[in-house]
Amino acid sequence: MPDGILIVLIAGLVATACGLLGPFLVLRRMALLSDAVSHAVLPGIVAVWLVAQTRAPLPVIVGAAAFAVLCVLGIDALRATGLVASDAAIALVFPALFSLGVLGVTRYAAGIHLDLDSTIYGEIAFVPFDTVRLGGYEVARSGLVLGGVVLFNLLLVGLLWKELKATTFDPQFGATVRLRPRLLSRLLLVAAAVTAVAAFDAVGAILVVTLLIVPAATAYLLTDRLVVMVALAIAVGWVGAAAGYAVALPMDSSIAGAMGLVCTACFVLALLLSPSHGLLTRRWRRRRIVADAPLLR
Amino acid sequence: MSELASEPSMLSTALGLPYTDAVVIAGALVLGITSGVLGAFAVLRRRSLVGDAVAHATLPGVCVAFLVAGMKDVPGLLLGAAIAGLVAALLMVGIERASRIRPDAAIGVVLSGFFAFGVVLLTHLSNSSDADQAGLENYLFGQAAGLLERDVAVMAGLAASALLVVGVLRRALTTTLFDPAYAGAIGLPVRALETVMTALLVVAVVIGVRVVGAILMVAMLVVPTVTARQLADRFPRVLVLAGLIGAAVGVTGALTATRGQLPTGPVVVLTGFTVAVAALLLAPGRGVLWQARRLAARRRTVRRDAVLTQPDAPVSGLRDRLVRAGLRRRGLLAADGTLTAAGRAAAAETAERRALWTAWLEHGPSIRLPDAREPDPTDLRGSLGDDAVAQLRALAAGAPR
Repeated sequence: MPDGILIVLIAGLVATACGLLGPFLVLRRMALLSDAVSHAVLPGIVAVWLVAQTRAPLPVIVGAAAFAVLCVLGIDALRATGLVASDAAIALVFPALFSLGVLGVTRYAAGIHLDLDSTIYGEIAFVPFDTVRLGGYEVARSGLVLGGVVLFNLLLVGLLWKELKATTFDPQFGATVRLRPRLLSRLLLVAAAVTAVAAFDAVGAILVVTLLIVPAATAYLLTDRLVVMVALAIAVGWVGAAAGYAVALPMDSSIAGAMGLVCTACFVLALLLSPSHGLLTRRWRRRRIVADAPLLR
Repeated sequence: MSELASEPSMLSTALGLPYTDAVVIAGALVLGITSGVLGAFAVLRRRSLVGDAVAHATLPGVCVAFLVAGMKDVPGLLLGAAIAGLVAALLMVGIERASRIRPDAAIGVVLSGFFAFGVVLLTHLSNSSDADQAGLENYLFGQAAGLLERDVAVMAGLAASALLVVGVLRRALTTTLFDPAYAGAIGLPVRALETVMTALLVVAVVIGVRVVGAILMVAMLVVPTVTARQLADRFPRVLVLAGLIGAAVGVTGALTATRGQLPTGPVVVLTGFTVAVAALLLAPGRGVLWQARRLAARRRTVRRDAVLTQPDAPVSGLRDRLVRAGLRRRGLLAADGTLTAAGRAAAAETAERRALWTAWLEHGPSIRLPDAREPDPTDLRGSLGDDAVAQLRALAAGAPR
C-alpha cells in the first residue's frame, strides 16, 4: 500500500474514533475536559516507561488511562469543594500533571523515543515504517491499535446509545430512570483518554484534541439530530485527514497540523454557511424576508 | 548573546547572581506579578481556559512575526504573539455570541485551529533551510534559560503598562467584572472594558509564554488567584495578594529549576499547584480542613444538646457514648445518667436558645433591628442585643399558637 494512502487511512481511523465520542463531549460541555485529559496522560506514558521499560500499546494505554482517571477525579474533587469554578479546576489539574510528565521525560526518560515534539505535533509521517507481521502481511502497528480503539468506541457508543443520548440531553431524567449519568460521563472521558493515548503515538496530542472537538462542533452547526451529528463529525474528520495530507505535501509541513487546519476550515465554512445556523445564511434569509414583504420595506 | 553576557550586567550585579540565574529570576518575577494580577480578572469571570487558548494561539503569531521580520527579534515576536492572542480571544467571544456553539467548544475550536496553524508554520519554517528559526519551539514549553536581559526589560515594560491600566481603570474594571448589567446601567462602556480585560489577559499570556511555555501558561493565570481568593475576601486585596503569590511562586520555581537543571515551566507550575492545593486545604476560614473542623464542632454541639435535653433517651452508638462521657467529665451528667445541677442549667440554656431561635424564625421580620445583618443562630442574644431578645420573647409569648 502506498505510504500516502496508509497515512490518510490511519488519520481516518483516529478521526472515526474521535468522531464517535466528540459529539457527546461537545454536547455535554466537556469539550475542554478532553483537552485536559489528553494532556494529563503524558505522565502515565512516562511512568509505564520508567517502571516496565516498555512502549507496548497495552501497558501504555493502561498507564495513561490511570492518569486520565486521576485527572478527571482530581478536577471533580476540586470542583466538589465549592471553592473553585470548574474551569479553574481544569486549569489547575492538567498543567500540573502535564508538568509531571515533561519533568519525567527530561529527567529520567531522555533516551525514550518519546521526544516531546512528536507527542505534541505528531509524526504521522513515520507511521508506515513501524510495522508488525500479521499472517504473512506487513501491517502498520498503529493501524492495528487504532482499529482496536475504533472497535471499542463503536461498541461503547453502539451499546450505550440510548443511555448516552438520554443523559447527554437530560441528565436529571437520566438520573431518575437510574442511568447513572456520572458513571456514563466518566466512562466517556476514559474512552476519550484511551483514544488519545492510542492516537498520541500515531498523530500527536494536538490532532487528537482537534479531532475530538472541531468536527463535532462543525457537525453541531449543521444538524439537530444526534445520529447525523456523529456521522457528520466522522465525515469532517475524514475530509480533514485526506485534504490535510494533500495540503501538507506541497507545503512541506506537519501533516497532523495541516489536517487540523483543514478541520478548522470546515468549521469556519459551517459557521458562515450552515443552512440553518450559518451567520451568512441567516443574514441572507433575513434580507429576503424583508424584500418579500412589501409592508416591511 | 555572547557580547551581552560578557558585559557586567546590571541585573546580575544587583541580585548578586550569575547572569542567567539573574535574568531567569527577574523574568519569573515579572511573569508572576502580571499573571497574578491580570489572571484574577479571567478566573473570577470563569474564563480561565480562555488563557489556555490565547497561549496556544501565540504560536502562529510568533511564527508569522518571524516570517515577516526574518529574525528572532524579541519585541517583534512578542508583538506577533500579542496580535495573534488578541485575535484568538476576540474570535472566541465572537463565535460564542454569534452562534449556538457553547463557550467551551468555542475555546476548543479556536485553540485547535490556531495551534494547528502554528504547528504547520513551525514545521514549514524548520523544513525550510533557514537556520535562524531554531528555538522557536521553545514557545511550547518555555525556555527561561534562553532569556536575555533585553527580553526581560521588554517584558517588564509590557507588565508595567498593563498594571498601570489596571490601576487607572480599576473601579470601572471591577464593576464590569462583577456586575456587567449594573456597569452598563451607570453608563460604563461595558464592551470596551471587556475588550480591555481580554487585552490585559493577552499581555499576561505573552509575557509568560516565553518563561513557562504555551501549554503551561494557563496554570500561572489560575494559581495565584485561587490561592489569593482563599486568603482574602475583598477584590483589591485579592488582586494585590495574587500579584505577590505569583511573584513568589515564579521566583521559587525558577530558582529550583536552575539549581536542579530542570526545565523552568514545569517546575514553576508544580510549585504553584502545590501552593494552590495547600491554600485550598488549609486556608483559615475557607479551607477544606477548616470547614470540616467547623462542621465537626457543629455536629458535636448538636449531639451534646440532644443528650442534655433528653438524657433519658436510650444510649445509641459509639458517638453517643463518647458525648455522654465528655459531659460526665465536665460534671454535667451524673454517673447514673441523670443530669447534675450544672447539667440542668446547661439543658435549660439550650432549651432557651432553641425557643429564641423558633421565635426569631416566626417573628424576626416584625422587630426593628439597629442594622440589617443576619444574626448568628448559635448566639442570638449576643448578636441581636437584649432589647431585641426581649421583644422577641414578648411576641412569642403573645402570639397565638
